[in-house]
Amino acid sequence: MQYQRTERSRPVDPPFSPVLLAGVALTPVPPRLLQPLFDGVMAVVRRRHPDILERLSAYPDAVVGIDPVDLPFVLILEPRPDRPRLTVRRDFSDMTTTAVVRGPLSLLFALAEGRLDGDAVFFSRQLVIEGDTEVVLALRNAVDGAGIDLDADFAATLGPLARPLRRVGLVGGRLFDRLSRDMDLIRRALVGQALKGVDAQSARLAELESEVATLRRSLRQRERP
Amino acid sequence: MAASQSPVELVCPAGTPAALRAAIDAGADCVYLGFRDETNARNFPGLNFSREELAEGVAYAHARGGRVYVAINTFPRAGHPEIWHRAVDDAARLGVDAVILADLGLCDYAARKHPDLRLHLSVQASASSAEAIRFYHEAFGIRRAVLPRVLTVSEIAGLGAAVPVEMEVFVFGGLCVMAEGRCALSSYATGKSPNMNGACSPASHVRYIEKGDKVVSQLGGFTINTFGAGEPAGYPTLCKGRFEANGRLNYLFEEPTSLNTLSILPEMIAAGVRAFKIEGRQRGRAYVANVVRSFRQAVDAIARGETPPDMALEDITEGGRQTAGAYERSWR
Repeated sequence: MQYQRTERSRPVDPPFSPVLLAGVALTPVPPRLLQPLFDGVMAVVRRRHPDILERLSAYPDAVVGIDPVDLPFVLILEPRPDRPRLTVRRDFSDMTTTAVVRGPLSLLFALAEGRLDGDAVFFSRQLVIEGDTEVVLALRNAVDGAGIDLDADFAATLGPLARPLRRVGLVGGRLFDRLSRDMDLIRRALVGQALKGVDAQSARLAELESEVATLRRSLRQRERP
Repeated sequence: MAASQSPVELVCPAGTPAALRAAIDAGADCVYLGFRDETNARNFPGLNFSREELAEGVAYAHARGGRVYVAINTFPRAGHPEIWHRAVDDAARLGVDAVILADLGLCDYAARKHPDLRLHLSVQASASSAEAIRFYHEAFGIRRAVLPRVLTVSEIAGLGAAVPVEMEVFVFGGLCVMAEGRCALSSYATGKSPNMNGACSPASHVRYIEKGDKVVSQLGGFTINTFGAGEPAGYPTLCKGRFEANGRLNYLFEEPTSLNTLSILPEMIAAGVRAFKIEGRQRGRAYVANVVRSFRQAVDAIARGETPPDMALEDITEGGRQTAGAYERSWR
């Protein structure tokens, strides 16, 4: 297995969303304070989705970096069968990884729950992967195949606290949706005019591409003996 | 969702147990899948089924009126057919509804050891003539042939009249160059054969390299494509590589385009096709649920004598583009 020094080769633009605001708010929080949360996540994976780690057992030495680009920290997944770990860090500095996955948090959650197709997301360039493609593909398949339902996982973790916290979560979810819509409105107000110009340019470019393709076809037909 | 009474079967991909459940719930009549080894042509990391998962998958599908076919469609290594034989034995033991085979020796083994097991001929066998299909039927009792994606609809109709087996055709998903079961492009670049090791362009040999706002895709150290800012990327298979030749940068073999035959499904049924196959065992359950649901609606609409509705599937197709491929041969 090959390891690479991990650097942010191309920044992925984070979407203008409540997660981005939460990320700004979380910036002063030291990652070690967040570590118990991710220890809990790994405990849930071991208890409720052992098949994920089983499907990754062919890669016991893998070190996968997960970079939610709208949050001020990164995660390191080490799926070693005896002691799997999910570690939170400020960034990837001074470390080597087998592979790195970068994308907005909402996209990573949607992929984990199988709500989006991983290939389609990657091919549309919303997600960036670097390093060992085999490990990333194995992780994608393992997570997708587990049939994860984040709501149910959180409920199982919280036990008797699940019901009251779910109510809070529902209210929080509605607030999040509302905030997302409001922020989208602000974004459109700020960049709407510029986007109109880009749309017009895109349409003109598509027209030109079509004309070039037609010209090429007729040229090829003329060249034929 | 219960399987329909349609005259054609919808045969859907399942790379994982979750995808199997998604396919059945979305209206698949059958799912096809493979074991977690080189006995099937989608031997990708983290994908496929253990024996226990297959048993659970068969129970899930059967309880909902669905069927399970197991693809054992690679070609055994010379002198080492054991894992392929074990795959056939285990599939039969676990009560699957059919096995999908390509190798002559394996067809013979399955026919002799498990005379009650239903045998389908894989697309990997590349049987495109009536003589070839009749041979597989007479020698091994093959009941269905998955046709290579090289025939037009009228050629399929002609074939149907000349063979005593059911015909299954691909209706959606990734396309191969027209040499299924015989292609050596990936072997050349990686040293691993899709037909024996079970993975075309294995992920272990794939690299994506970010260069500014471009992404370079490589296979076995060969640059297969460079995607500009905002341009949809693709998986680096040699057949869909963009190369410079005679001063022109172009897709030399074929463009990254997905097969989509929604518009010609009625003609396929009229041509005698018994089963529609959706490609994509390597894709996630979101893809499976989306495509299966769309084709279920289309097939049911046709069964009611209605025109299949338009479906927006561009977002999940390779390269964001679609073609009816050889079925129409619009390039001629």
